[in-house]
Amino acid sequence: MAVLLASGTAHAQVYGTGTHTVTVQVSVITAVRVSGASVNLNISAANVVAGQNQMSVTDQSTSLLWGTNSSLRKVSVNTNLAAPKFTLRLLALNPTAGNAAPQVTLSTSANDLLLNIGRSSGSCTLQYTGIALASQGTGTDVHVITFTVAAQ
Amino acid sequence: MNRALIRSFALVGILWAAGGLTHLRAQISVQGGNLLMSVTTGTAGAQPVAVTSTATTLRIRRETVVTKVTVSTSCPGQRFSLAVLATNLTSGVAAPQVNLVNGMPAADFILNLPTNGTLNKTCTLRYTASATFAQGNSTELGNDVHSITYTLVAQ
Repeated sequence: MAVLLASGTAHAQVYGTGTHTVTVQVSVITAVRVSGASVNLNISAANVVAGQNQMSVTDQSTSLLWGTNSSLRKVSVNTNLAAPKFTLRLLALNPTAGNAAPQVTLSTSANDLLLNIGRSSGSCTLQYTGIALASQGTGTDVHVITFTVAAQ
Repeated sequence: MNRALIRSFALVGILWAAGGLTHLRAQISVQGGNLLMSVTTGTAGAQPVAVTSTATTLRIRRETVVTKVTVSTSCPGQRFSLAVLATNLTSGVAAPQVNLVNGMPAADFILNLPTNGTLNKTCTLRYTASATFAQGNSTELGNDVHSITYTLVAQ
C-alpha cells in the first residue's frame, strides 16, 4: 500500500499534450566595421632624423571589429589608391581571435591582414605606418581602405 | 441493432466512469502551426541579433483540479539556442523563461491554472532564437528542428 501511494505521488495526472515544431535557421552572417575616425598621418620635421632619408609615423587610434559564423575565414585589406606617392603599411595588433599576418604594404590588391578568424567575433588594433623618403618631397596621399572577410 | 446500441452505451458508460470522455477533447493545444525562425543579422564585435516570434498561442481547457503546463523539447544535434516564455496569459502564472535544450526534463511553463473562470485559457508563446558567431550557421551545420511538447498536468 505504501508503495502504491509513493508511486501515485511521483506521477501527476496528465490531462493532455500539445505539440508543434519550431525550426531555428541561422544564415551565413558576416559583419565588419572600423571604429574611430579617419586617420591622418602627418610626417613633419619632428619625424626627421638628420642623415637618414626615411621618415615614418605611426597611428593606433582605430580598431577593426568583425563577426563571422562561417568556418575558415580571414580578413584581407586593400586601398583604392593605385599609385601612392608614399608608403602606407598596416599591422593588426592584439587580435582577440585568429592570427595577425605580417605587416602589409597597402596596395589595390587584397592582402591578408588576419588569418583563422572562422566562427568568431573579435577585434584588433589597426597600426598604420606612413613612410616617406626625404627625396620624395612633399605631398598628400588619400587612401580609402577596404577590409574584407573572405574564405581562407 | 439493439445489441449494438447497448454496446455503445456500455462503452460510453465505461469511458465516463474513467473520466475518459473529458480526455477525448483536446485539453491543451498549440494554435498557429509550426514556426520557422531565422537569425539573419549580426553586429561586428558582438553577436548575431536574436529573433523573437509571438505568432503562436497555447489553448488550455479548465480542469476540476488546479493544473500547470510543462514544456520540453526534442532536438537531436541541437546547435543554436531557443527559449520560450508564456505571455498575455488569461489565467495562471507564467514561469520564468525556459531555455529549450534537447533531452531536457519537462520544465514548468504555466502554474496555478484554476478550476474556475472561463473554460478555455490562452497565452501567447514568445519564442526567442539566438546564436553566437562561434556556433556557426545552418548552411554548414543544418537547422535545429525542435519538436516541442506542452503538457497539462495536475499541480
